[in-house]
Amino acid sequence: MSVSLLCIVILFPMLVGALIPVLPFSNRKQMELYLFAMVVLNSLLVWTLILLHPAESLTVAKFTGNLTITFRLDGMGMVFAGLVATLWPFATLYAFEYMTKESHEKVFFFFYTMTYGVTLGIALAENILTMYFFYELLTLVTVPLVMHTLTREAILASRKYLYYSLGGAAFAFIGMIFIILYGDTISFTYGGVLDLHKIGNRVDILLLIYVFSFMGFGVKAAICPFNSWLPQAGVAPTPVTALLHAVAVVKSGAFAILRLTYFSYGMEFLRGTWAQQVVLAITSFTIVYGCGRAIKETHLKRRLAYSTISNLSYILFGAALMSPAGLVGALSHLVFHAFMKITSFFCAGAIMHQTEKHYVHELDGLGYAMPKTFTIFTLSALALMGVPGLAGFISKWNLAYAGIESGLPLGYIGVGCLLVSALFTAIYMMTIVIRGFFPGEGFDKNQVASFQDPNWKMLLPLCFFTVFILYFGLFSSSFIGFLQSLI
Amino acid sequence: MDIIRNFPAIAILLCLFAGIFSSGLKEKAAGLVNSCLIVIEIGLNLATLLYTISLGDSFVYVMGKFPAPWGNELRVGVLEALLALFFCVIMFLSMWGGKHKLKDEVDPEKTFLYYVLLDLLLSSLLALIYTNDLFTAYVFVEINTISACGLIMIRQNGRTIEAAVRYMIMSLLGSGLLLLGICMLYDMTGHLLMSNIHEAILTIVAEGQYTIPLLIMIALISVGLAIKSALFPFHAWLPDAYGYSTVSAAAILSSLVSKGYIFLLIKIMYRVVGIDIFRNSHITDILFLFGLMGMIFGSLSAIRENDVRRMIAFSSVAQIGYIYMGFGMGTEAGMVASIFHILSHAATKSLLFIAAIGLTEVSDGKRQFIYLTGSGYRNKMSGVTFTVGSLAMVGVPLFSGFISKLLFSQAAILNHGKMLPAMIVLAISTILNAIYFMKTVIRIYTPVPNSPYPPMDLREHWRYATALFLFIVLNVVLGVFSDPIVRLISNGLAMLG
Amino acid sequence: MITLLTMLGIPFFFGLFLCCNRNITNRKTLLSIVSLGFVATAVVTVFSWTSLLEQEITVFWLTQNLPLMFHLDRIGLLFSILALVVFLCAGFFSFSYMEHEKKERRYYGFYFLVLAILQGLCFAGNMVTYYLFFELLTLSSLPLVMQENTKEAIMAGLKYLFYSLCGAYFCLFGFYILFQNESTISFLWGGNLLADSIVAHPVLLQVAATCMIFGFSVKAGMFPMHGWLPTAHPVAPAPASAALSAVIVKAGVLGIIRVIYYQFGAFFLQGTKVQTLFLSLSLITVFMGSLLAYGEPVLKKRLAYSTVSQVSYILFGLFLLQGTAFTGSMLHVLGHGFMKASLFLCAGAIIHLTGKTRVEEFTGLGKEMPILLWCFTISSLGLIGIPPTGGFLSKWYLAIGALDSEIPFFSYVGPVVLLLSALLTAGYLLPITVKGFLPGAEFDTEKITKKEPNLWMLLPVLILTVLSVLMGILPNGLLGFLGSVFR
Repeated sequence: MSVSLLCIVILFPMLVGALIPVLPFSNRKQMELYLFAMVVLNSLLVWTLILLHPAESLTVAKFTGNLTITFRLDGMGMVFAGLVATLWPFATLYAFEYMTKESHEKVFFFFYTMTYGVTLGIALAENILTMYFFYELLTLVTVPLVMHTLTREAILASRKYLYYSLGGAAFAFIGMIFIILYGDTISFTYGGVLDLHKIGNRVDILLLIYVFSFMGFGVKAAICPFNSWLPQAGVAPTPVTALLHAVAVVKSGAFAILRLTYFSYGMEFLRGTWAQQVVLAITSFTIVYGCGRAIKETHLKRRLAYSTISNLSYILFGAALMSPAGLVGALSHLVFHAFMKITSFFCAGAIMHQTEKHYVHELDGLGYAMPKTFTIFTLSALALMGVPGLAGFISKWNLAYAGIESGLPLGYIGVGCLLVSALFTAIYMMTIVIRGFFPGEGFDKNQVASFQDPNWKMLLPLCFFTVFILYFGLFSSSFIGFLQSLI
Repeated sequence: MDIIRNFPAIAILLCLFAGIFSSGLKEKAAGLVNSCLIVIEIGLNLATLLYTISLGDSFVYVMGKFPAPWGNELRVGVLEALLALFFCVIMFLSMWGGKHKLKDEVDPEKTFLYYVLLDLLLSSLLALIYTNDLFTAYVFVEINTISACGLIMIRQNGRTIEAAVRYMIMSLLGSGLLLLGICMLYDMTGHLLMSNIHEAILTIVAEGQYTIPLLIMIALISVGLAIKSALFPFHAWLPDAYGYSTVSAAAILSSLVSKGYIFLLIKIMYRVVGIDIFRNSHITDILFLFGLMGMIFGSLSAIRENDVRRMIAFSSVAQIGYIYMGFGMGTEAGMVASIFHILSHAATKSLLFIAAIGLTEVSDGKRQFIYLTGSGYRNKMSGVTFTVGSLAMVGVPLFSGFISKLLFSQAAILNHGKMLPAMIVLAISTILNAIYFMKTVIRIYTPVPNSPYPPMDLREHWRYATALFLFIVLNVVLGVFSDPIVRLISNGLAMLG
Repeated sequence: MITLLTMLGIPFFFGLFLCCNRNITNRKTLLSIVSLGFVATAVVTVFSWTSLLEQEITVFWLTQNLPLMFHLDRIGLLFSILALVVFLCAGFFSFSYMEHEKKERRYYGFYFLVLAILQGLCFAGNMVTYYLFFELLTLSSLPLVMQENTKEAIMAGLKYLFYSLCGAYFCLFGFYILFQNESTISFLWGGNLLADSIVAHPVLLQVAATCMIFGFSVKAGMFPMHGWLPTAHPVAPAPASAALSAVIVKAGVLGIIRVIYYQFGAFFLQGTKVQTLFLSLSLITVFMGSLLAYGEPVLKKRLAYSTVSQVSYILFGLFLLQGTAFTGSMLHVLGHGFMKASLFLCAGAIIHLTGKTRVEEFTGLGKEMPILLWCFTISSLGLIGIPPTGGFLSKWYLAIGALDSEIPFFSYVGPVVLLLSALLTAGYLLPITVKGFLPGAEFDTEKITKKEPNLWMLLPVLILTVLSVLMGILPNGLLGFLGSVFR
C-alpha cells in the first residue's frame, strides 16, 4: 500500500490539474476550494509516505535494456518531497489571492498543480533516468506558467527558459549515458555506482563529462554563465516566481546535481580531481556574481531572482565540496533557502499586488503602510544575510564548516565568497528595508495612506514561513541530525 | 506457412501492377486503389515480419526459379520486413493525413497520375529493401528517382518545377556514381548478386588485390547514396523539394525515400562489402564527419528559416546527419541506433509535415511564422501534434526521439575515438533543435486577439485528425515500448551480416 | 538560567513592547513606561551580576555543536557595568533632549533592544553567542543612527551597517577556520586551540586570528576601517551618539579581547606578525584620529574622531599582550566610556539649548551654562590624561605596559605616540573650554542669559563626570578587580 503511494502522489496532482478545465465550477470559490482541498490532500499523502517511508521501490515502466522508470523514497527524496509538500498548499493559498488580478486562471492552475506532481517525481526518482525524465517534464509544464501573461516580454522569457533548460538537459543527458554505461546500476546509491574496472584509463573523459553534466543540470540551478533565464523569467506571476523559480524548479536542478555527485558518480571518485576544482571555482564565482548583479538591479523581483542565483550556488558549492559535510550543508541550504526566498518573494508579490509598485526606488515609506509585510520581509532579509538565530545562519554555517573541513584552497576561497555574498545580500536587501521604514525627510505619509497589508490568504503563508525560518534558526539540531543520519 | 515466403515478391509486384492499373482510372478510383494497396501491403509485410520472427533467420526467395547468377533474388530478414512494414504504415498515415489538401494542390485531371507515382514509389521502396541483387537495386533506384521527381513536380507551380529539376540533377548524379560503383564491383568480381559478390570480395581482400579500386568503389557508392539521401553537404536540393511539393509527398519523400537509399547503403555495407572491410576503408570516418556537420549546419539553416515547411525540411538534413553519424561509428551499436533513428525520424518527420499543413491551413495558407501566431488554438489537433513532434525531435523522454538519442549516445561512448565529438555535437544539436522547434511551438501558442483566420473544424476533417492521432500513438509507442523494436533491429542486423 | 533570561528579557520585552505598540501617543505615558523599564532593567541586572557571577549557563543548542551559552565572567561584568551606567544616564538625558523629536517611541524601543543585546553580548560564553549578539547589535543600533530620518542620517546608517557587517563577516570567516581547530567552543582564558593544530598549521590560524581581530576592529573604529564612525556617530541624536561612542564601539573591543585572550591565547600570538600588524595599525589610528579631530570644526564630529583615536589606545594596550597594558586598557574602557558619554551629552545639551554645532560658535558659552561647561572641561581633562582623572591612570598603565613589554620598536614608539596624541587631544578639546569661559575682550557679555539645562539633562552629565573622576581618585578596588582577570 505504502509503495503505491509513491506513484499516487505524483499522478494525483497531475490528475487534479487536468480536471480543472473539465469540471464545471460555477464560481471561482468552488474552484479554489476544490484545488486547495486536493493540494492539501496530496501534501498529507506525501507526509504519510514520508512517515511510513517504505524501503521498496516501485517500477512503473521499462524502456530499453535495464532502463526503467522507478520510484523510491530515500533520505534525500524525503527532504525534497517534504519541502515541496509543505510549501505547496501555502503557495496555492497565496496564489488564489494573487491571481485575482490576472486572467485565465484555469490554465494557470492547471499547469501549477501539474508541476507539483512533476516536482515530486524528481524527488522520488529512484534512478537517474527517472529523474531525467521528470526533469524534462518539469521544463515543459512550467513553460506555460512563465508565458502566462502572454506579453512579448513573457514570451521571450519563456523561450529563453525553454532553450536554456532543454540545452542544459542535453548536456546532463551525456552524463546520464555515462552512468548507464559505466555504472553497475543506474539506481541512486550513496557513494556512487561507477564501476572502476569498466572505466580503466578513461578517467579524464569521465571527469570532463561530469563537468558537462554538472553544468547541464546547473542550468536549471542558474549557474553562471547560464543564469540569465532566471531573472528574465521573473515576468511570470509571483506565485510562479516564488514557488517555482525560487524553490521547485531551481532546486530540482540543485537536487539533480546532488544526486549526480553523491549518488551516481560518487564523491570518492570525484574528490580531489580537477573536475572538483572546476566546479568549485564556478560555483564560488556564481555566488559572488549573483549578488553583485542583485545590487545593480532595481526591479524588485529581478533583484530577488539574482539573489536566488547566488543562493543556489551555495547549494552547488556544498555539492562541489564532495564530502558528507558538504551534502549536509547543501541539503540544509536547500531547505532553508526555500523558506527564506519564498517568504521574500511573497512579500514582494504582496507589495506588487497591493501597490502595483515594481521598482525598489518606489518603495519609500511603504513600511508604514504595510508594516506586517515589511516586518516579515525584514526578517527574511536578515535570514538571507545569515544573521544568527535565523535559518540562514545555520545552513551557511554548515556549508562553511564543510568548506573549511575540505582543506582545499578553493574551499577557503569559497567560504570567503559566501561571506562576501552575505555582505552583498545585506546591501541589496537592507536598502529595501531601510527605504521602507526610513523614507527620508520630506516624505509625505499620505502618499502611502491608501495602501495596506494584504488579507489573510496572503499573510497566513507568510507568517507560517516566518515561523519556520525562526524555528530552524533556533532549533535546527534535530533537522541537521536527520540530514547527517542520511549519510 | 511457406506461402508467406512469396509475400515480399507479391508485395513488390502488386505495387507495380497497381500503378499500371491505376493509370487508366479516374481520380477517385485511383485513390481507392492506392489506399487498398497500402492496406494490403501492410498486411503482407506484417505477415512477413511475423514469419521471419518465427523463423528466426532470413530466407532467400528466388524469382522465377532461375538460380544465380542469372536469376533475381529477394532476401528477407527481420530487419527488412520491419522496415517494409513501417514504411507502409507511414505511407498510409501520410496519405491519409494529406488527402484533404490534395484537391487544392494538384490539378484534378492529374490526380490519378499522382497515385500512380505513389504506387510506383512504394514498389521501388519495397524492392530496395528486399532485393538481394545489385542490378535490381539500381533499376529500382531509378524508378524511385523518377517517381519522386514526379511527385515533386505534380503540384504545378514554378517553384516545384525548379525544385524537381534540381532534385533530378542531383539524384541522377547520385545514381550515376552508384552505377559506376556497381560497374566496378562487377568488373572486380563478376557477380551481381550480393552474396556472391561478398564471397568474391573476401577472396580479393584476402589476396590483397584491387585495394585501390575497392576503396574507390566504396567511396563512389557511399557518395552516390549520400547525395540521394541528402547528407550534408549534398543537401542543396532538399529544402525546395520538401518545402514546396504536396504535403503527403513532402512527408513521404522526407521520411521514406531518403531512408530507402540509406537502407540500401546499409545492405551494401553488410551484405556486399562486409562491415569490416567497409570500416577499414575509413569511409566511415568521412561519413561520421559529414554526419556531424550535417547535424550542426542543418539545424543552423533551420533556425534561420522563416518558412515552417522549409524549416522542417532543413531539420531533415540534421536528422540524416544523425543517421550517418551512427554509420560512421562503425560499430553494431551505432548501426542499431541509426536504424532506430530511421524509424523514429520517419515517424516524426512525416508527423511534423502533416501537422504543419494543418497549422498553415488555419493561417490563410501562409507558411511564414508571423502568420502562424496563435494557430495552435485555431487548430487544436495540429497544435498538439506539432508539439509532440517537436518534443520528439528535441529528444524529450516518452517520445521516439529520446530513444534514438539514447542509443546514439550509448553507441558513441563505446567508440573511444569518436566519443567526445559525437557527444558534444549531439548535445549542441539538441539545443539547436530545441531552439527552432520550441520557438515554433511557442509561436503557435501565442494567442492573437481577433485573429482574422477561422479555426478548423475537426469533425469535418476527421480523417486528418485520426491520422494525426495515429501519428502521435506511433511516436509514443516507439518512445515507450522501444525495447522489442531495438531487439528486432539487432537481430535483423545479425541476420544481415 | 531564569535570572539570566530575565536580565536579558526585561529590556528586550520593553524594547519590543515600545516598538510594536502603536497606541502610545501620550508622551507622559511613554516616559513613565520608559522610566519603569530603566528601573526594572537596572534592578534585575544588578541582581544577576551578584547572583550569577562566574557561572556558565548553556541556554540551548543552535545545532548539534553550537551551544548558545553565557558565562558571567569578570571581564564581561566590567563591560556590562559600563553599558548599564551609560545607558541609564543617556536614557534619562533623552527625556528632555528628545522632547521635540519625532518618533520618540521607536527611539526608546530600539534603545531598550540595544541595551538588552549589549548585556547578552557582554556575557556571551562562546564565539557563536558573541557573534549572534554582535550582529544583532549592529542591526538594532541602526535605527538609532538613522533616527533623524534625514538623507544624511540614512546614508550614514547604511555606511555604518555595511562597515559593521563587513567586519562581522571577517570575524565569521576567521571563526569558521578557528572552529575546526579548537578544543572546546567556549571561551577559555589562555586560549582553547588544539595543540595539534598549533603545530600543524600555524599560518592558517594566524590568518584566522587576523581576520577575526580585523573584523572586530571595524566596530572599534580602527584604521583602515574607521570610515563609518565619524559619519555615523554624529548624525544620531546626542544621547544615542553617547551610547554609540561610549559603549557600542566597546563591543568591538570586547570581541578582540575574547579573540586574543580567550580563543587564540596571548601565548600563540606573542611575537607573531599578527601582533606587529595590529600594533602598527592601532598606533596609526591613535595618531590619525587625534589629528583628524584637531582639524574638525563640528563638535560632535570632533568627538567622534576623538573616539576613533581613544578606542585605539585600548586596542594598543590589548595588542601588547601584557598584563599592565591590559589593566590600562580596561581602565580606559571604563574611563573613556564615562568621559566620552559625558562629552557627547554636553554637546547634546548645547545643541538642544542653543542650536550651535560648530566649535567657533561656542565663544562665551561658559557664561551661559557654567556647570555644563565645567563638566565638559573635567571630562576633557580626563581624555587628555591629566591627573587625578581616570584618563591619567589608564594612560599611565598603558605606557608602563608598553615599556615593560620589551617588544622592539613598539615599546618606545608606543608611549611617544600616546603622548603626541594626548597633546593633540588637549589641542582639540581645551580651546572649547578656554573660549567658553574666556570669550575675549570683544565679546558682548550683556546679551548673555543663564541657559543652564534642566535637571534631567544635567544630572546624567554630572554623574558620568563624577564617575570618571572617582576612577582616578579611588582606583584600588578596580585595579584589584582587574588583577583577578589577568592571570
